Amino acid sequence: MKIDRRSFLSLGVGFGAGIALSPLPWKLTDDSSIWTQMWPWTPVPERGESRYVNSVCTLCPGGCGISVRKVEDRAVKIEGQKGHPVSNGGICLLGLSGLQLLYGPYRVKYPMKRREDAKRGQGKWQKISWDEAMSEVAKKLGDAKDKTACIMDSDKGTVPQLFKTLLTGLGSPNFMRTPSVEDSFELALLKTCGYPASAGFDLENADFVLSFGAGLLEGWGAPVRTFKANSLWKDKKVPVIQIEPRLSNTAAKSDKWIPVNPGTESELALGIAHVLIKEGLAKAEVSDSFKKIVSEGYAPDTVARITGVEAGVIVGLAKSFAAASKPLALCGRGKGATPISLNETLAVYALNALMGNINQEGGLFAVPQPDYIKWAKTNSNASVSKLLYGKDASLKALLVANANPLYSLPDTQAVKTALDKIPFIVSFSSYMDETAQYADIILPNHCYLERYEDVPAPAGYHKPLIGLSRPVVKPQFNTKHTGDVVIAIAKAMGAELPYDSYETCLKETFGDTWEAFQKDGVLTADFTPPAPSGKIELNETSLKPVALEGESSAFPLVLVPFDSMRLSGSSIGEPPFVIKTVDDTILFKNDICIEINPKTAQSYNLSDGKYARLTTPKGSAKVRVHLYEGIMPGVIAMPRGLGHTPGFTGNDKYLAGKGVNVNELMGSAECPDGLNAAYGIRAKLERA
Amino acid sequence: MKNEQGKPKKYGMVVDLDKCTGCGACMVACMSENNVPFKADESNKRDSITWMRVYKITNGKPFPDTENCFLPRPCMHCEGQHGHSPCVSVCPATATDYSTETGIVSQIYTRCFGCRYCMGACPYHARHFNWWDPVWPDGMEKSLSPNVSVRMRGIVEKCSFCFHRYQAAMDKAMMEGRKELEESEYQTSCTQACPSGAITFGDLNNPKHAVYELKKNPNAFRLLERLGTNPKVYYVSSREWVRRAGDNYIKGEWENKQNAKK
Amino acid sequence: MDSALIPDGVKRCPLWQFLLFIGAVGAVLLWGVYAMLLCWLKGLNQTNMNDYYGFALWIWADLGVIALGGGAFFTGFLRYVVGKDKLKNIINYAVLIGFICYSSALLILAIDIGQPLRGWFIFWHANVHSMLTEVAFCLSCYFGVLCIEYIPLVLENRQLYKIPLFHNLAHNMHEVMAVFAATGAFLSFFHQGSLGGVAGVLFGRPFAFREGIFIWPWTFFLFTWSAAACGPCFTIMLTKLLEKITKKKLVADDVVELLAKIAGWMLFTYSIAKIADTVYWATVTAPAQGFNISQFYSNNPFYGIWILYLEIACTLIPGLLLITNGGRKNKFLLITSVIMGALAACINRWVMVLQVMAVPVMSFDTWAMYIPSWQEVATTILPVAYGVILIAISYRYMPVFPQERELNPTTE
Repeated sequence: MKIDRRSFLSLGVGFGAGIALSPLPWKLTDDSSIWTQMWPWTPVPERGESRYVNSVCTLCPGGCGISVRKVEDRAVKIEGQKGHPVSNGGICLLGLSGLQLLYGPYRVKYPMKRREDAKRGQGKWQKISWDEAMSEVAKKLGDAKDKTACIMDSDKGTVPQLFKTLLTGLGSPNFMRTPSVEDSFELALLKTCGYPASAGFDLENADFVLSFGAGLLEGWGAPVRTFKANSLWKDKKVPVIQIEPRLSNTAAKSDKWIPVNPGTESELALGIAHVLIKEGLAKAEVSDSFKKIVSEGYAPDTVARITGVEAGVIVGLAKSFAAASKPLALCGRGKGATPISLNETLAVYALNALMGNINQEGGLFAVPQPDYIKWAKTNSNASVSKLLYGKDASLKALLVANANPLYSLPDTQAVKTALDKIPFIVSFSSYMDETAQYADIILPNHCYLERYEDVPAPAGYHKPLIGLSRPVVKPQFNTKHTGDVVIAIAKAMGAELPYDSYETCLKETFGDTWEAFQKDGVLTADFTPPAPSGKIELNETSLKPVALEGESSAFPLVLVPFDSMRLSGSSIGEPPFVIKTVDDTILFKNDICIEINPKTAQSYNLSDGKYARLTTPKGSAKVRVHLYEGIMPGVIAMPRGLGHTPGFTGNDKYLAGKGVNVNELMGSAECPDGLNAAYGIRAKLERA
Repeated sequence: MKNEQGKPKKYGMVVDLDKCTGCGACMVACMSENNVPFKADESNKRDSITWMRVYKITNGKPFPDTENCFLPRPCMHCEGQHGHSPCVSVCPATATDYSTETGIVSQIYTRCFGCRYCMGACPYHARHFNWWDPVWPDGMEKSLSPNVSVRMRGIVEKCSFCFHRYQAAMDKAMMEGRKELEESEYQTSCTQACPSGAITFGDLNNPKHAVYELKKNPNAFRLLERLGTNPKVYYVSSREWVRRAGDNYIKGEWENKQNAKK
Repeated sequence: MDSALIPDGVKRCPLWQFLLFIGAVGAVLLWGVYAMLLCWLKGLNQTNMNDYYGFALWIWADLGVIALGGGAFFTGFLRYVVGKDKLKNIINYAVLIGFICYSSALLILAIDIGQPLRGWFIFWHANVHSMLTEVAFCLSCYFGVLCIEYIPLVLENRQLYKIPLFHNLAHNMHEVMAVFAATGAFLSFFHQGSLGGVAGVLFGRPFAFREGIFIWPWTFFLFTWSAAACGPCFTIMLTKLLEKITKKKLVADDVVELLAKIAGWMLFTYSIAKIADTVYWATVTAPAQGFNISQFYSNNPFYGIWILYLEIACTLIPGLLLITNGGRKNKFLLITSVIMGALAACINRWVMVLQVMAVPVMSFDTWAMYIPSWQEVATTILPVAYGVILIAISYRYMPVFPQERELNPTTE
């Protein structure tokens, strides 16, 4: 065959045209690209009718109003509820990621019992029925009788009251609330004002804010409300002074950051009180005993030596505080996850009292404890330290609800030892948290978006207020409302309870107001606060800075935990969205980072990002070093809220195994009033 | 020239850095609104999809003079010159576009083939690549919103100023026979969530919208204005060092500029 | 065994030796293919690229091989358009190298994009404003041209050439080659330039951005220029390398020297342009965006000012050497020069891809350093292995070097 130019060309053209005209290559190319646009393993959310359901978030004590967007029966987005008295449309990142807790793989999906062949915490469970579970608990509690105890994160509201009723039926007064700064506030207010009250702060109307370590922007009080107040202060040019050893977000956004030696906030407050009294700047009378102590022992020079704050600054602070018309002094370290000493609380209370702003607009309010639960016949309260660690601790059964003591109490090892002594532990947790992992039986509660509950007294709110948390979606798993479970168990044990189900209990508790409560989601009440007495009695036996555990020779540094909005520190752990916002200077891969002043780091020959071993009298951890100019030399800061332990293997890689729980390194420093006032612990650092 | 839709809009933001507390609510509000995926480890911020990222910036001074400020960074929806934002003009497949009607830079996920040129072009790192297949743990896919499509592996995504909300608001307005939106009808998820009220969103061209006046604040600045990106996100800070950090200046330039102002 | 396939009158190594060599390189190739498949099946998470490093090692390799493959278009341009007929003795090899470089470049692009099956959107939904669109079009077209230029060489294999169809086809293609060469030169001029434009138009990246001459960024011209200068250096370098391996003279010295001389002048003039560009960029363009040039080269563990000096040295020194007769005649200087010339393009492309990504732009951002994953390294080595194999096969079975026979008369 001879090919000339002509046939060469025609062959080429024909060949090309043949391919082009055949649909096959084009179709295949097109189809393959369409396939990539709808890969079967990439989910396609179903469409449907959308609507909003209002509720109250109970992930922290803030009690914010939320508005949940639903598509058919799925909840797809949590937003802030406009017009809510506490949060008015605002919402924090933890609240926003609540659906990841609702639908997350870390839920406890049915009642479970520890397998007989397994030790506690081994994660070997046996699925049981609700009937079996409840009759077993009833039986064990019947045996334990008054050696039964309960621990919850709150002692207010119908569910804690049901637990208290159950305990009363068993003859036990052992209801514990997980320790927090609320303990300090309540004790101080009881001592000064003379009636049981929660601390409320009229943040919005203050015109000068002096904060002794209160993490106003790290989750203190009702976080969203505090944020809103902070913005209001910016608009009104209200000065905010932040006193703490670390440049926290609060300090960073304040008008002035005053670094103070850790644990000496109390002394600084008394020093300021000294100036107020000496210079005649006080506007109200306080008890003479207080005046005497302060006048004699807290001259600016003395205080300057203790706190590291110059005497001139102390005088200046006092003067500007007094010059304001509605100055407000605040305390509660960080979020307030731990108590502070009674003296510190009283010292800060005194600053407010001296300015005459107790129970006044823009001031500190002693908000009476809610008393709407008329059927409650009991008000038992017990301290964690006595019941768990006391010499005569002899509990036979422990009920844990909405709390995670094994994670959130300091000195994890000691908590574990205490729990080991208790033969029967029941967890009511919706999630496989540390304490649930350590329980003998889990009776999972509905998640907060699946259940009714009254939410009284948002933290730090200055008016009596109750919110209503209600089911947004139907229960996703075989869980039961803890209220119902407690009623059933109490009834089985013969306790007197007028209700058969939690919902009736709730409805009848509110009686006539129920309908309005249902509709508005909040109930408010008027209250006329009594005039303050001016009575302030410092505990003279503990008038010195709280002593931390550890010898300064062996442990030359001070370790303080720090809070951050981006680490909710919730007992459950950080949902994936929240952990995603955490900086790589706090969590790097699975390593926790500690903050240290470059000068201090230099003396240990540590540079940024290097590994080190951090040891305290309580424990030791491998950490990464983050050099931070915003921290006092000699102090190490460690984030609180990391280091959750895995509950279900593989499923909770999003939640667990990240960093270290600072509580494993913490100890306690109990002040004579029974409050654990440890603000940190002594520590040492070595290159690793 | 008047068009049927009314005057062209130019949606933008003014972020008050004095109020921003770095709490991260905007970041999560964005993730949960826009079906943003997550991985077990998100500590490498350079492959972590965060349409809205809050940077922590510092004045660089030693203790105790250190100051910090937080700076939320959504997509700046740069206008460049005549809509030639750095990313739009480089996309070879027209998968990202500048809308002259709204001023929003869009991203068409099914069009994008993942060349990542736009990411190289964006000086704000506002664009993120799906290095992994998005995976939701069992059950968690229930929380996905049907209003925003889930992205597949191998493509670029970024902040859309919650464009689906604009569409929904426009649909509603159309049904009611209106052509204009009220300011409150279209707000981004981050704006709505911010507990500090630090973010204000609206039409920069519309005198009735708050952003119109806010952007004229003498303390307002934009990020990297000098590059000519012409971004639509303004920041306001009363701190001089923060305003300086918004752009780059050669030695002495900023000081001269400040002195000239006085 | 395969002697029937080997061109007339030349000597080749025994088949076993050849197969052993191909096998060894083939193993490397397979390693690369494995990495490539990983990237396709599992996605680009197999790399160490990230949102800061959207472009990394691959794109450098891509730009690098395209610049080095520039020897093909420029030699073709010189031979067919300018009429340097002497270069016909090296044009085949230049075309072969170009073919390898460009096919590799296309393969790398297919691996690099996140959605390879949608790659054709670049043509279908083309955005005319994008430099990358221009690159894609010109690159594909020019690759077509290179195929047309390479096919006749394949057909000239002794056995294939016996088939009348192929014989005539090869003959006919040769006749129209000048047209294709001219087209290729034209296309290449554009895509080399637009690859430069890819970096130069990034006005959000002060390190890359170059203010325009008319509407173009300078990098457009600088890239074309550098490809024309460095490509031939690479061709000469590989020629010398092949000569070393085969222990034979394959191209006459006068041919090499002619190409070297032209490359030398290109390099020399390019270095002047590059220096002028650098000075203007350092004193005008970057400061206007708020950057002192020192900011681009400090506070990071790798990118010191040395890299700029090295790049300029690698253009200026070989340029000066190659334009002198003595430099070209001295074997050591010639080889040093062409190596430096090839290196110049590599450094330039490295800087224009990776350093662009590394330099922080926002004042509070930090340098982004990057170390490629093994998958990236393997996929980058893949084209090298492929190139070695293709050269080996082509050299063994095709008359790549027309002068081989006369320069190496067989004794038998």
